[in-house]
Order: sequence, then C-alpha cells, then structure tokens
Amino acid sequence: MKQFRQETYESLLMAVDQIRGNKTRSFLTTLGVIIGIVSITMMGTAINGIDAGFEKSLAMIGYDVVYVQKSPWGSMNQWWRYRNRPDLKTEYAGQINRIIADNPGSGLDIAVPQMSSHRASVSYKERNLLQVFVMGTNADYLQTASGDLSEGRFFLPHESDSGSMVCLIGSDIATGLFPDEPALGREIKLKNGKFRIIGVFRKQGKFLGLFSFDNQIIIPLNAFKKVYGSKMYVTIRIKIKENVAVTDANEEIRGIMRRLRRLPPEKKDDFSINEQQAFKSQLAPIKNGIAIAGIFITGMSLFVGAIGIMNITFVSVKERTKEIGLRKALGARRRTILMQFLIESVTICLLGGAIGLVTALSITAGIGEMLPDFPIQFSFPLVMISLVVSVLTGIISGLAPAISASKLDPADSLRYE
Amino acid sequence: MDNTLIKMQSLCRFYTMGDQVVKALDNIDLTFNRNEYVAIMGPSGSGKSTLMNIIGCLDTPSAGTYELNGQNVSEMDDDELAKIRNREIGFVFQTFNLLPRLNCLRNVELPLIYAGINAEERSMRALDTLQQVGLGDRVNHKPSELSGGQIQRVAIARALINKPSLILADEPTGNLDTSTSRDIMTIFSELSKAGNTIILITHEEDIAQYTHRFIRLRDGKIESDTAH
Repeated sequence: MKQFRQETYESLLMAVDQIRGNKTRSFLTTLGVIIGIVSITMMGTAINGIDAGFEKSLAMIGYDVVYVQKSPWGSMNQWWRYRNRPDLKTEYAGQINRIIADNPGSGLDIAVPQMSSHRASVSYKERNLLQVFVMGTNADYLQTASGDLSEGRFFLPHESDSGSMVCLIGSDIATGLFPDEPALGREIKLKNGKFRIIGVFRKQGKFLGLFSFDNQIIIPLNAFKKVYGSKMYVTIRIKIKENVAVTDANEEIRGIMRRLRRLPPEKKDDFSINEQQAFKSQLAPIKNGIAIAGIFITGMSLFVGAIGIMNITFVSVKERTKEIGLRKALGARRRTILMQFLIESVTICLLGGAIGLVTALSITAGIGEMLPDFPIQFSFPLVMISLVVSVLTGIISGLAPAISASKLDPADSLRYE
Repeated sequence: MDNTLIKMQSLCRFYTMGDQVVKALDNIDLTFNRNEYVAIMGPSGSGKSTLMNIIGCLDTPSAGTYELNGQNVSEMDDDELAKIRNREIGFVFQTFNLLPRLNCLRNVELPLIYAGINAEERSMRALDTLQQVGLGDRVNHKPSELSGGQIQRVAIARALINKPSLILADEPTGNLDTSTSRDIMTIFSELSKAGNTIILITHEEDIAQYTHRFIRLRDGKIESDTAH
C-alpha cells in the first residue's frame, strides 16, 4: 500500500513533468475536455440561474397568495375553453371575507378584490406612457403583495371605499413621467380621470423577466370602476394563513367559490384558482430542454476530447517506448507503467477541467456584469461534477494506451529507436 | 554461502521468423561465480544480445533453466521478473538511457522508486552513489549538461544504487572515445576489486582485456570460454 502510494506520487510528478515538457500539445489535447467542461458548467449555471431567478420572482407574487380568476395561468393557447365562463365579481372578496370570519377553522386569511387593465396609458403634461398595468383594489392590498413604498403611503379604507382619485405608482412609471422632479403629489391622467400620486413603490425588478411590478399603477377599486367601467378583468387575491398547505387552502376556496356561484355538484368549476405552482410546471420543459441540449453538447465534446487524449497518449507511448523499456529494466512492474500513463491522461483531463471551470466562471461573471438582470448561479456541486467528469474522461481515454504500454516487452522496447 | 551466482543448463532461445525457427541460443551451459569479471564477446548475430537479455531477466529462455542467485528465473512472470531485475541486476547500456528530463540525482534514484524506498532515503543513497563515481558536484545537472563519460558514470551509479548481485554492462564504451572508455573501464575494474560481479557484453578486444574471463559466442553456441 505504501509502495503503491509512493508510485502514484512519483507517477504524478512524472506526469506533471511530461505535461510541462509538452505544453502546446497537452493544451491542444485537452481542448475537447475544456469545451466539454465549459458547456457542462454553463448549462448547469443556466439551469441554476433559472431556478434562482424563478424563486426570486415567485417571492414577489408571494408563496402564500392564490389568485382566483376566470382562466388558469398559462392557458393563452386555450382561451376559447374558458371564454364562456361567467366573469368574476369583485363583490366575491367581501363575501369570502364574511365566510372566513364565520368559520374560525378556516385556512384563509383575507380576500382582496382586484380589477385590472393590461394596456392602460398614463400621461403627465406632455409625457405619455403606454402599456401600463393599472389595477384597482382596496386598502387591504398590501397584505397580499410584496413591495415597499419608497415614499408616500398606501390609500386608506375610506379613500378606497369612496373611490378617491389617488394613486400609487411603480418606480419605472415614476422615472418615466418624472425624470427630474418628485412624483409625489403630482396629478397624472388615466383615461379621463386625474389621480393624485400619494405613494411610489421601490424598484422590484421583473417577474420572470416578463412582467414588471415597476410598471404598474394602483388606484382604489371604486375609482377604477368609475374610470374604466366594471367590465374589466377581475382577480380575487386570497392570502393563506401561515402553516396551511396550499392544496388545503385551494380546496377550501373551491368550496367557497362553488357555494357563491351556486354550482350543483355535477357541474365543473367555472373559475380557476391560480398559484405559483402553475409557473413551476411551465418551467420544467424549458429546463429539460436546456439540460438535454447541454448534455448532448457536453457529451459530444467530451467524446471528441477523449478520442484526442487517447490518440495523443498512444503517440506518447510510442515516443517513449525506450523510456518504458528502461523503466521496466530498472524494475517497474506492469501496474506501475499502467498507472504512470493513466495518471498522465487523468492529469491532463483534470487540468482541462480546471481551465474549463475558470473559463466558465469568467464567462459567467462577464455575463453577470453585462446583464445584471440575467439570473446566474454558480454552484459547488457543479464544480464537483465537472472534476469527476474530467477524471472519468481521463481514465476512459487513457486506459487503452496505458494497457498497451504496460504490456510492452522490455528487451524489445530498450532496443527501439 | 554458495559461490555460484548464475547457473544455466541447456539453455535455448528460439525465435520464429515467418515459418523459420531461428536458434539464437542453442544449448548453453554456463556458470558464473560471485565476484567474477567476465566479457561476453562475439560478432553480431552470435546471440550475445539474446544471452544478455536472458541474463538480465529481460527475456526468458525457450528451454533449459536459468538460476540467478538461487532463484529459478526461467518460470517467472513479468512482474516477478521486474522485481528480480530491480533487486539483483544493475544495467549499464551503450546508449546510457538516462531520462533527459530528470537531473542526475533523480535518474540515479529511479530503481529505488520501484523498490518502494522513501524519498529521503532515496536521495541520500543516490547522492552517496554519485559521489562514488566522482559526480558528487553534478547531482542537479541534467544529462544534456554532461559529457558522454559523465553520463555513463551517472548510469553506472544508477546500476549500483540497489546494491545488485550482478552488474550487466552492454557495450558500455560503445559510444565513448578511447580515453573516456579507459576511465569507464577503470571504474569497472575498481568495482570488480570491491567485490562486485560484472558481466560485460562487448565486441571490442581491448575492452575485453580488462576482464578476467572471455566467453566467445558464435551462432548461438559457446565457441570458447577462457580465463585470463
């Protein structure tokens, strides 16, 4: 055992020496491994990044908030299936809250009505913003949403009940309409209504890189109805109590909604209960796609890399036939020679793996620098996987040449020129 | 202790070339005692290289027996042979065969690595042995920085480091000029005086003159075996 360790150590020294003596060749040899490791880590980083960005976004809409709406999320391609469902009413929120209050065992906390328009436009003097998200809601809204105010306040119950013409704006709207003056206290125009700004939200970033909470305006529900009419899209936001499972809460909401809608048991639900889980299931195929493409690219480059290393190790065995003969004459056993060449190819691959990791790391850092919004996550398991893959590549590609070296006849090899 | 180091009985080595069998060694009986200083001579094709390979345990006989230091080598497998070579034999080659990337010390150490000796003892013994051959001041030089005679002395140090029972030198002066050859042969003579067993393969008469016994081979057979 001790001798084995010693031989391994010596082999390692020899391998390093050999690689140092053939720098260019070793680098070219390991290029395939470098590319393979870069692609494996970039792929992993992308998947991790998507996950992390996703979690961040989900935190924005809240883990403990579900959304009762006319149609399920992600059903754009099947809109006709839900078109004939009756519209939801904002009054449901109040009714749900009464039911919750009557039932002390309820898993629900509070229901908040919301009515919204995706494509509103807003103007201040000659400035004009299009494609703004405007929602009407009541004073309880903040209990069901994340987001801090950078200045001002949210509207109060009496303001929301009376439909006061006040509003809160996202940070993008504040900078868009008021690039060089304070927004608070100004009056902006939504359709034909003038709203006084009483609060500005802190920047939140994009949700899944698609929808921005910074591009929304919140006004009292009754004011919304006055300006936009009462035919707009309704969402009932329901916050779940702590430590209540989302599935249980969903069941309860379903029961309440069916009661409110007076649906007989044989009829299907004519509403949808949406929660963040829906996004997760939509994300899975994307991640799988990246993983499959990544594994394919990685596999190809590692395969090519392995063949390259095998080839060059064969050449190296041929070139060093005399050296192998000498080592055998001096007492090197088959195992020793085998180990020497195997360690050499593993070392080359490990070096390639390390270079690949550093390259991937710098690319990642570069992307992170250029696109701060792009979700990126470099993880320790990825580093480990890369190194293990490198070692395996080294063993697989080095085995055949190493065996051929170990079987060389010492007398013949010594005479080889 | 038995004074016989090497005993060969009806030893043969055949090669098949196509459908022809070449008898490189044909029924050789030879005995070498400890502390003998022998030259094996013969023209090329006489079988002296084959005999050297067998004596050096680089090859095994096709028939007959070969005993080295009481061990029957004829039946050993590759790894056992490697062990015997490591312990019993110190090789000196015509082409020196030092590893060019290693310095003298590391070159001389090589057999000790395969004997499983730790780094500290290795470099100590290598340094000692290099001093014995007069190269104590060249330990960190690479072979490319040395003259032919110095390189061969490093090779001799490498052959000596394991305290082998036999030093096997294959045309050790073949690549050296006359005066350097003389220096090298002086070293061998001193080693012989110090009690080492040395077998020299050569085709040069004047080199053979340094030894005490000549064995001449021709066509795979012993032509003559004379003391000197």
